Amino acid sequence: MNLISGIKLYIEKMCTESGPGMKIILLDKETTSIISMAFSQSDMLQREVYLFERLDSGRSNERLKYLKCIVFIRPTKQNIQLLANELRNPKYSAYYIYFSNIIPRTDIKYLAECDESESVREVKELYADYLSVNPNLFSLNIPNCMVNLNWLPDALTRSMQGITAVLLSLKLNPVIRYRAGSQAAQLLAKMIYEQITKDSTLFDFRSNMDGSAPPLLLVLDRRDDPVTPLLHQWTYQAMVHELLQIKNNRVDLSDRANVPKDFKELVLSGDQDDFYGNNMYANYGEIGSTIKALMEEFQRKANDQKKVESIADMKNFIESYPQFKKMSGTVQKHLCVIGELSGLSNKRNLFELSELEQEIACKAEHSAQLQRIKKLIADERVTIDDALKLVALYALRYERHANCDTSSLLQIIKTRGGRPQIVPALIEYAGNHVRQGDLFNMVRITDAVKLTRNLIKGLKGVENVFTQHTPLLKETLEDIFKGRELDPVFPAINSELVPFRRPPQEVVVFIIGGATYEEALAVHQLNNSGYKIILGGTTIHNSQSFINEVLSATNGIQFKHTKSMIKYCSTDNI
Amino acid sequence: MASNPFDSDEDQSAASGEILEGFLCPICRADLKSIDVLTDHFARQHAEEEDTLKSVFNIFVKAKKKILNNFEDERGAAGSSSSTAGGPSANSNGNGADQRVLSNARSRFNVFNYMSKQQVGAECSHFEYFQSVRNPRLERYASETNKLIIRLHRLLKDLPSDSVQRKQHEQQTVAWLDGSSVKLCPSCAKSFHIARRQHHCRLCGGIMCNDCSKFLALENAMQLASLSTSRSEPLQQMHQGDRAIRLCEHCLWLLDTRQDMHESRTCRPLLVQVYEQIRQLQKDVTPDLDMYLKIINSLHEGETIFTITDASALRGKIGQVAETMDMRSKRILAIYCEPGSREESLKKAIRLSCIQAIKERMLSLPPLPDEALIQQIQERKRMETEQRILTEQRMAMEAYERYGLGATIIQSGGGLESGSFAQGSDLQSINNWSAPQASTSKSGLDDPLIEQINIIKGYIKQARQDMNFEVVETLELNLRELQREVYERQRKSQNSAASPEVEQQQQNQS
Repeated sequence: MNLISGIKLYIEKMCTESGPGMKIILLDKETTSIISMAFSQSDMLQREVYLFERLDSGRSNERLKYLKCIVFIRPTKQNIQLLANELRNPKYSAYYIYFSNIIPRTDIKYLAECDESESVREVKELYADYLSVNPNLFSLNIPNCMVNLNWLPDALTRSMQGITAVLLSLKLNPVIRYRAGSQAAQLLAKMIYEQITKDSTLFDFRSNMDGSAPPLLLVLDRRDDPVTPLLHQWTYQAMVHELLQIKNNRVDLSDRANVPKDFKELVLSGDQDDFYGNNMYANYGEIGSTIKALMEEFQRKANDQKKVESIADMKNFIESYPQFKKMSGTVQKHLCVIGELSGLSNKRNLFELSELEQEIACKAEHSAQLQRIKKLIADERVTIDDALKLVALYALRYERHANCDTSSLLQIIKTRGGRPQIVPALIEYAGNHVRQGDLFNMVRITDAVKLTRNLIKGLKGVENVFTQHTPLLKETLEDIFKGRELDPVFPAINSELVPFRRPPQEVVVFIIGGATYEEALAVHQLNNSGYKIILGGTTIHNSQSFINEVLSATNGIQFKHTKSMIKYCSTDNI
Repeated sequence: MASNPFDSDEDQSAASGEILEGFLCPICRADLKSIDVLTDHFARQHAEEEDTLKSVFNIFVKAKKKILNNFEDERGAAGSSSSTAGGPSANSNGNGADQRVLSNARSRFNVFNYMSKQQVGAECSHFEYFQSVRNPRLERYASETNKLIIRLHRLLKDLPSDSVQRKQHEQQTVAWLDGSSVKLCPSCAKSFHIARRQHHCRLCGGIMCNDCSKFLALENAMQLASLSTSRSEPLQQMHQGDRAIRLCEHCLWLLDTRQDMHESRTCRPLLVQVYEQIRQLQKDVTPDLDMYLKIINSLHEGETIFTITDASALRGKIGQVAETMDMRSKRILAIYCEPGSREESLKKAIRLSCIQAIKERMLSLPPLPDEALIQQIQERKRMETEQRILTEQRMAMEAYERYGLGATIIQSGGGLESGSFAQGSDLQSINNWSAPQASTSKSGLDDPLIEQINIIKGYIKQARQDMNFEVVETLELNLRELQREVYERQRKSQNSAASPEVEQQQQNQS
């Protein structure tokens, strides 16, 4: 269950099936990202793929008849049309066509009729139709998947295709469960089920022959846990995404001052960069010491290199030069990133902020927290966005609290020139009326187990104030693997497959509305203790992108649950 | 290639996966059209190679058989240790090639070790359906095109230069449609009148207006009909306007497509040729790279199979290949093409990948180890082995004493002495084989084993010269085995301490 190698194996297959010889690869916008997440350009060069071209680019008519052409595209109507044009007037000697998802037979027929010069050598579906961010994490790059708190039609189809591709590339035929009460989750689960039944031969993996429980596909809704994407993160990957934004494994630093020219765009791929691969789940503090060690090793090597006195030294230098160069590149890259992170953390007073965020998420101390929030959001060093996040967390946590004072906090935001309408929108999107899990550990006296667990937690104290919070997802997954009763909260759509009280071996989780790197970390930790979990989402959120998604999802609907904040709502929603 | 044809052969087919058909020579892979030519070619070209090869690989088998036959009874008594030692090396001599393939596979897995755990995901091929739609259409086109080509051929074969005669000839070859009932041009639907006259496609006889007519230049037409242009002297005298054939759009399209397909199949510009050379170099050098790493490792282990000169020779060879690759890729870069074109970026990409391959695979090889250091390691290892042998012997002696076999002590002590002596000469002979040539050749007359050893030494020398280190390794291992066998035998014969002949032989050797 490794998504990156899933994609890699597919691409490897394309390159080998087309045989030896110079090759060009024709891609569309999305498959370009898919390939670039798994392979670097030099990896592709080693596989004799020398040219990359977009199918939809304004193409010159230059013919290179000695090139073979690998076509790897999503089966969309537009792509089929473009490919048909290409086949009618072929520029390359042979075409090996791969679709990233299930393609209707009529489209194949149409293409076959266009291939008049007999240049097509292969037509295949290879299900590399998702972006593999980490071995256990995929994204579909859909920034906004909802409108009026319901699916955008395109986003729904794309999600269905993405998930079926994940299932096919890992050869899973799962039990499908969805979040009860979430219309979006139910609809998506139903569509996936229909697709699987329609192409049942494809999903016939015979994996259940040995009597083990079938895998599980769990469709969740971001609206159950709006807190995780709002919190500031302190693990490397999550922190980089929160502060600098990772897009398709790339970090854009072009607008930062003091960044050397070579590092305007950085590639952070755990697969190609060992340092990143080993440290993406490490804490900020740990990385500091790791990079220091790396620096020292590098300096020692650099010093060795300086002592070039004899011919033998010179020879040695030349011979170890490529490794040396590679190493110095890695060191500089991560130094640059960490330098940026630490600069931002200090400038934005993130340590104090994050501590309070974590307290709000994990502990119920209304009046004390309210005082601290008031103090912090008035502080000029705290950016308006960070202040808004604090207020949003407060509003979510104490929505039903008797002394809830969100309005006065919003007033402060307003005077500072922020956008207070974000908070009511967030409450409409994921307030108490929507959520079903117990996000804030609201303990009822009846739940004795949870009560004692919380007591023990309180007695032990917290190890790290910045990482107290664990996402709701972790609890859900632990329940699943313990074999708890799932039907009331997560009903199954194909209940005929459900085994009697046996926990599944493999779980694929999909979060409508985007996953986060904190959840990926939780999944990683569970996987390390022997489970097999894949996490995916319509996108990977940081706090800003999440707020944007909330705003666009609630745009234009009438707010019913936030009457008390009505004067801070945007005029569209009244 | 000639020195070890089996290896390179296998490498090629394994790496490229290319399948050749026809009467192929199994060694040089040349296609020889018929069975007679092939057998003839094989007998003449490869007879010698075949012999060498066979003898190299069969020698050990023969030697072993001999040993087994001659000394079976002796081995039965004490040979359990040597037979276990013989086991793995017997494997290695027979399956040298297989082993290498295995090691290649392993090194591939190291690069993609994450892949070994996971299977490729599901896939679904639509190619059969695609073909079932495409091929009937193509066949129809193909037959139509063939018909056109035949007509074109007949039309051009003796085309009169006079326009009236030409028209007659054309109408004879292809019957023109009767145009009296056709009022409109079939392709543009405009009516015919005095200004817009009817014209006929010379290949299908169809009707169209002048605007819808296409023209195929005579030179091209000759080419299509596979007639040589030189023969058609009279054509040169024709008017400019007459030097083309009037065609309808459809016929011209069919002919164009055919030519396109033909071109794309036979197209091999300079770029491709040089590129293929580079790939070949890259493929050929890969086993050398693995071998070099192996040699360096073995040197660091203190083994004496390979020498530093081997390593440096191989390194030199790799360096040469790198240089040639570099030159070839520069040559690709130098081929002219339009700036900003796709071809230009292709050439740059090829050059880039060459540089990468050279940098990462060839220049990053570990440097040659220091000669003194290696000698030190070897010395230490030798000391260790001697130490071990001594302790083993002491243990054996103690065991004898414990059993109170006093009488045999003296004898075995004597045996030990001469045994260690024999080993000494053995070691010496490993380091310096050419010196005692005369004496060994003399004793070789009455000992088949010594004779074999000498033959193998010759082969090793040969293989070193050819830089065929695979073979060197196999041969060296077998040489060791034979030497051990000789040594064992000598000890045995001394222990039994009887036959005067053996004693004499011993003297000869000393």
